[in-house]
Amino acid sequence: MALGLAFWVALGLASAGHRPAVADPPRPGASHPRPVDFAREIRPILAENCFACHGPDDRARKAKLRLDVKEGALAALGSGDRAVVPGKPDDSTLVFRVESDDAELLMPPKASGKQLAPDQKALLRRWVSEGAKWSSHWAFDPPRKADPPAVKNATWGRSPLDRFILARLEAEGLSPSPEADRETLIRRVTFDLTGLPPTIEDVDRFLADRAPGAYERAVDRLLESPRYGEHMARYWLDAARYGDTHGLHLDNYREMWPYRDWVVRAFNRNQPFDRFLIEQLAGDLLPNPTLDQLVATGFNRCHVSTSEGGSIEEEVYVRNVVDQVDTNGTVLLGLTTGCARCHDHKYDPIRMKDYYQLFAFFNNIDGPALDGNSAKWAPIAAVPTIKDRLAIVAADAEIAALKRTLEDETAKLAARAPLAAEPAESEIPARADYVWIDDAAPRGANPQGDSPWQFVSRPDYPVKSGSGALKLTAQGRMQRFFETAAAKLVIGEGDALFAHVYIDPIHPPKEIMLQWHTREGWMRRAYWGENRIDWGKDQSVERLRMGDLPPTGEWARLEIPCARLALAPGSVIDGWAFTQFDGTAYWDAAGLRTWTPQPEQKYASFAAWIRARKADKGAGLSDPDKAILALERSKRTADQVRSLYAQYLRTGSAKTAAALEPIVAKLKAAEAKRKALDDQVATTLVFRERSGEPKQAYMLKRGEYDQRGDKVGRAIPAFLPPLPAGAPVNRLGFAEWLTAPNHPLTARVAVNRLWQQFFGVGLVKTAEDFGAQGEPPSHPELLDFLAVDFREHGWNIKRLVRTLVTSAAYRQSAKITPERLAKDPANRLVSRGPRFRLDAEMLRDQALAVSGLLVESVGGPSVKPPQPPGLWEAVGYSGSNTAHFQPDAGPAKVHRRSVYTFWKRTAPPPQMSTFDAPSRESCQVRRERTNTPLQALLLLNEEQYMEAARGLARRAWAEGGSTAEDRLVYMFRLATGRRPDSSEATELGRTLRDLLDHYRTRSAEARQVAGEGSPGDPCNFAAWTLLGNAVLNLDCVITRG
Amino acid sequence: MHPFEDLAAAMTRRHFLAGSGLSLGSAALASLLGSQAHAGGSPRPSGGLPGLPHFAPKAKRAIYLHMNGGPSQIDLFDYKPKMNDWFDKDLPESVRKGQRLTTMTSGQSRFPIAPSKYKFARHGKAGTWVSELLPWTARIVDEIALVKTVWTEAINHDPAVTYICTGNQLPGRPSLGSWLSYGLGSLNENLPAFVVMTPSWSSKVDAQALYNRLWGSGCLPTQYQGVALRAKGDPVLFLSNPGGVDAQARRRVLDAVSRLNHHEFETLADPETQARIAQYEMAFRMQTSVPELTDISNEPRHILELYGPDVHRPGSFARSCLLARRLAERNVRFTQIFHRGWDQHGNMAGDLPAQCKDVDQATYALIVDLRQRGLLDDTLVIWGGEFGRTIYCQGKLTRDNYGRDHHPKCFPIWMAGGGIKPGIVHGETDDFSYNVVSNPVHIHDVNATILHCLGIDHRRLSVKFQGLDLRLTGVEEHHPVKAILA
Repeated sequence: MALGLAFWVALGLASAGHRPAVADPPRPGASHPRPVDFAREIRPILAENCFACHGPDDRARKAKLRLDVKEGALAALGSGDRAVVPGKPDDSTLVFRVESDDAELLMPPKASGKQLAPDQKALLRRWVSEGAKWSSHWAFDPPRKADPPAVKNATWGRSPLDRFILARLEAEGLSPSPEADRETLIRRVTFDLTGLPPTIEDVDRFLADRAPGAYERAVDRLLESPRYGEHMARYWLDAARYGDTHGLHLDNYREMWPYRDWVVRAFNRNQPFDRFLIEQLAGDLLPNPTLDQLVATGFNRCHVSTSEGGSIEEEVYVRNVVDQVDTNGTVLLGLTTGCARCHDHKYDPIRMKDYYQLFAFFNNIDGPALDGNSAKWAPIAAVPTIKDRLAIVAADAEIAALKRTLEDETAKLAARAPLAAEPAESEIPARADYVWIDDAAPRGANPQGDSPWQFVSRPDYPVKSGSGALKLTAQGRMQRFFETAAAKLVIGEGDALFAHVYIDPIHPPKEIMLQWHTREGWMRRAYWGENRIDWGKDQSVERLRMGDLPPTGEWARLEIPCARLALAPGSVIDGWAFTQFDGTAYWDAAGLRTWTPQPEQKYASFAAWIRARKADKGAGLSDPDKAILALERSKRTADQVRSLYAQYLRTGSAKTAAALEPIVAKLKAAEAKRKALDDQVATTLVFRERSGEPKQAYMLKRGEYDQRGDKVGRAIPAFLPPLPAGAPVNRLGFAEWLTAPNHPLTARVAVNRLWQQFFGVGLVKTAEDFGAQGEPPSHPELLDFLAVDFREHGWNIKRLVRTLVTSAAYRQSAKITPERLAKDPANRLVSRGPRFRLDAEMLRDQALAVSGLLVESVGGPSVKPPQPPGLWEAVGYSGSNTAHFQPDAGPAKVHRRSVYTFWKRTAPPPQMSTFDAPSRESCQVRRERTNTPLQALLLLNEEQYMEAARGLARRAWAEGGSTAEDRLVYMFRLATGRRPDSSEATELGRTLRDLLDHYRTRSAEARQVAGEGSPGDPCNFAAWTLLGNAVLNLDCVITRG
Repeated sequence: MHPFEDLAAAMTRRHFLAGSGLSLGSAALASLLGSQAHAGGSPRPSGGLPGLPHFAPKAKRAIYLHMNGGPSQIDLFDYKPKMNDWFDKDLPESVRKGQRLTTMTSGQSRFPIAPSKYKFARHGKAGTWVSELLPWTARIVDEIALVKTVWTEAINHDPAVTYICTGNQLPGRPSLGSWLSYGLGSLNENLPAFVVMTPSWSSKVDAQALYNRLWGSGCLPTQYQGVALRAKGDPVLFLSNPGGVDAQARRRVLDAVSRLNHHEFETLADPETQARIAQYEMAFRMQTSVPELTDISNEPRHILELYGPDVHRPGSFARSCLLARRLAERNVRFTQIFHRGWDQHGNMAGDLPAQCKDVDQATYALIVDLRQRGLLDDTLVIWGGEFGRTIYCQGKLTRDNYGRDHHPKCFPIWMAGGGIKPGIVHGETDDFSYNVVSNPVHIHDVNATILHCLGIDHRRLSVKFQGLDLRLTGVEEHHPVKAILA
């Protein structure tokens, strides 16, 4: 059978709620008892239908008629007519043109796609008849705190807020709904203040508290819960477009969670809202900013970013700033500033120049436009934990102590080896022998071969250098080699490898060979004498003949230019082999003739060390020592020379460095540890100004980054109050301006968003747009009252929240009667309690909480609860570090609250996005609430919801009493906060019985449902689990009533 | 005796709701929603906006084959024989005219011309030039309208693909499919109105990314977003019951939920509760309708052969095309297939043939299959990427291999089926396939054309967003491409 239903479209109000907004606030009945209200009834009609051609945009204006200001509407037109003649509708061309039957004359013209409804035309006529009363746009005048209106029903209401609501209800012929029952109330307010359901104990405590003020006491308790900040932060994070990835192209990981934790903390410590804004907009510009204040500036860094190959830096830069301007416009001002990026705003008095003057406030960040695909996109701040801090202090202390020891020991050495005793040598870099193998293999090498390495000494054997020579007697092909030297040879330009050999005159070998090991392996060989050893390709660098055997009975020097072995400068040798065929030879003093300083090289003189440091441009030296090194010898002061000399003694002198090596090594290790500590400290993106003159901002024609027009400076749009006297002309001044007492928007916009949070819809439904195209407030005086009250009481958020949730309006029952549905379909008059489906996060958190799984630790890196495989892979670039999803394991991660769930912006977690959570790619101050079958599938089948059903069953068994009925009631109470009524209990009981019957004969399936380690009989537990599954899907569970 | 039995016995004496053990299911639901139920026959849309379609649509549904990455028009459709004489010569500045380049090639010291190495021939009555890489597509040129002169402003993938799919380079706007499902509603109450598939591809693994926003609902409610039809795991997320829960157990749970929700509705009368009851029933129906959709076991052999051997591989482009046809048969409003891997900065000779092989036969098969079922008459099919590629070479140039950078100023998109004039080529580019010589078509015009075929005046489909009447096709003036409309 087919149902003619919209598949994805919710029935009833959910879909109706998305119609164009202006007509939405309930209108008084046809009798229209009051005079027409220009601000609420006329201006929206003009804005919607006329401003596009007769509004603030000079260039788009037709017939020189401007209808967004009174002077324009009343002015004589070119024809001599006037659009509006107060009191004379028949003389007003506006009325004539909108009422015209002539398609040529009709306004708005057909091509605009706009059309006035008959009641709108009638309203315009009546407005002109009544004298065309004019007022400026309501949102641009500062809010005034009016006295709450008089009401007939003096017994209802608990606060001034309620008087405003009641007066409107009475005017519409409605009465408020009775107060909701106490179970409903405690669940409603617990969800609204903490994002979690009340426990049974919470409910019982509230029900038991019959004393006056019980509800208020419950509210106060909830406001003190750390869960409050987590819940409140979530809404702000939507607006701030917080995410854990960059959001564009590779969509790599972005380390930003310290900002999220800051927001949670700010709400929990009830930071006043003005400070909350100032720190986020300009924490870095405050005097001596704290780390917290720097972290707060992440608000303006949350926008998406890219490092896509091919990106044009300036284009991306402009987009970044545009996102900042637009987001600030939406979140703080409730204005669609973005419209003015390409042209003057068509509806609100924001000129294009205003846009770029706002742009200029943000136009000076000290960091690159492209994110480099790095988690730490500059500017960033390190945010060490207390544990990090302690470890850093300890590491710093260790470093300081080692440095002191090193200095003391150096002074002792300097006393024993005075500078004056140094030979006078040139400082010009010169090629010299660097002996790598002498009396031993280099450090780290693994000497091996056909027999052990044997060093022989004078006087019985020939020795070229040091105390011994390597004796090698071969029968056939034999060798001594190593290949893992830690101290390696680095080839420089024009270098030659060398070795010294003494050929035994009695038993000379037939062939001697040297081999070298590089990254390519043993691929370089040179030999003398016969071609007996057949390794490598003959007549190539793999087997290069250098000549005949050297003379016997004396030390001979073998030298092989690196170029002949195709060893390019920069090549690294870490292994060497002495090889011979038959006979006996002694090998000694092998290495590289070079002027390139070698790793771990030690020097016979200060001057030799200086030569090396000049060659490598002071590698390993501090910047001051580098500067000293660059000076001519005669220009160095005695202190400067001492500084270099101390460094030489410590690290470069063949005579003394060995003595200090252990301390130097310890210092290096300590510094490495310190760096590792720095690296493991979390960072977060912050805003920071460039030093020097601010970057110049320009008008950008059509908003294009490469179409610069006039230069612009930082300034506030003229229709809003000016910057406060003395405020700096930067982001800090901008923030102070926002929170100044005469600002018309900031407090209204903030209060409205909170109202929306608690009542489901804002007093201004278009929470993102308070301009002419937005919807006028349903209760303008109430909005103003709350806004002024909020500011006057120190922008105290908890106080405002408390005002809202303790009001009689909030506490009404949500029950809908036909009368209320007819007169107040969308509850914009607040004639009943707010009832709506829980947000994605609340749904999941509730499931985890009622099933006893929730882990309530606060803060830290985001976590990855399981999600179906393949979601990241379906979209991710393989080079991205978020291309593959790896779920976290363990309750400490996967059972955290959803505010801590990892948010990949190009593929957000489906448990969130299916329930209307935004992708966090752009600012969002209002979530839709849809009702779809995909949501049903998720709640019925998703892994963690199933896990929660098991948890619910387990709790019902463990805590719910001994009878099935008790357990069943307990399960229902866990999920709903109330007892089932008798029909509900009957249905639950019958369901349980059927499920028990079902699984009694299906033990294998039952074990699958029950999972591992289920208590008792799996058939029984499976039935209870599915009952839990049903309970978690009930409308009364997924809705906060 | 289980303690529960007492309770159950006690309960039977009470009266609950209708009091029967019968499943509430769809029968009860039908009466609940009686006024909206209708008998079978030709589908009527549910949901959608009043007043839409604006005029009689030629197409009831659309299938969009998106080639993600920027297919090289020069090697596929835009035949430029003169370029053979220009091998390795510099692109004249008079052609480039200071056009901005991506920073991948803006640093190149020269811009040497890379002629296509592929042979072109004329095909069909229309005599449309098609390269040898698309032999199957060549056989359907008389069904399609090829526009060679589409252009865009964006020159990098993320902004460009976001632009063509949502009408804006920045994230946050509704996608084409979500506009259609918002405006026109659904023709099948058992399947989503907007389905997305992301098949595998054959060129290098590092293919350009996709983003959920490409089928997201932006500022429209999320019910309008595209639903991914997946090749692995549940075809629709969370479709399957958990292990151990069979249809009977699931039905039993749903009946309980349904009855209790009905009880809730009687108490509080919230219409959302009523809607939820219906959505749960739809979810249950989807558990049947979606597997039935994706089960191709009853497709005859000659049909499977039509789509080519890849059709046997779940998650291939060929399988996606077959599913697209099955979706069209079921009146799903909009199906979009995102085939990745068309970003040939290098190794054109290796990767482009592989990409073409992925899509060529299956695309042909889709058109032929829709045609033989009479579905092509009211199904619009669209094929194309987010931008084109440069005539000049990126990286190493030889006669046999080369790479091409992104090129926004001209690239091809073709359409076929409902509302489209078949067998034509629209627009001409210069000898370098660099600039449009005649009939430029902006990507907004393409989207306006798609909307037009579906009966929508693109200027009149809008939603209030940030003070604007937001449209898919932006604020400037754009038009459907009349020349390709039937």
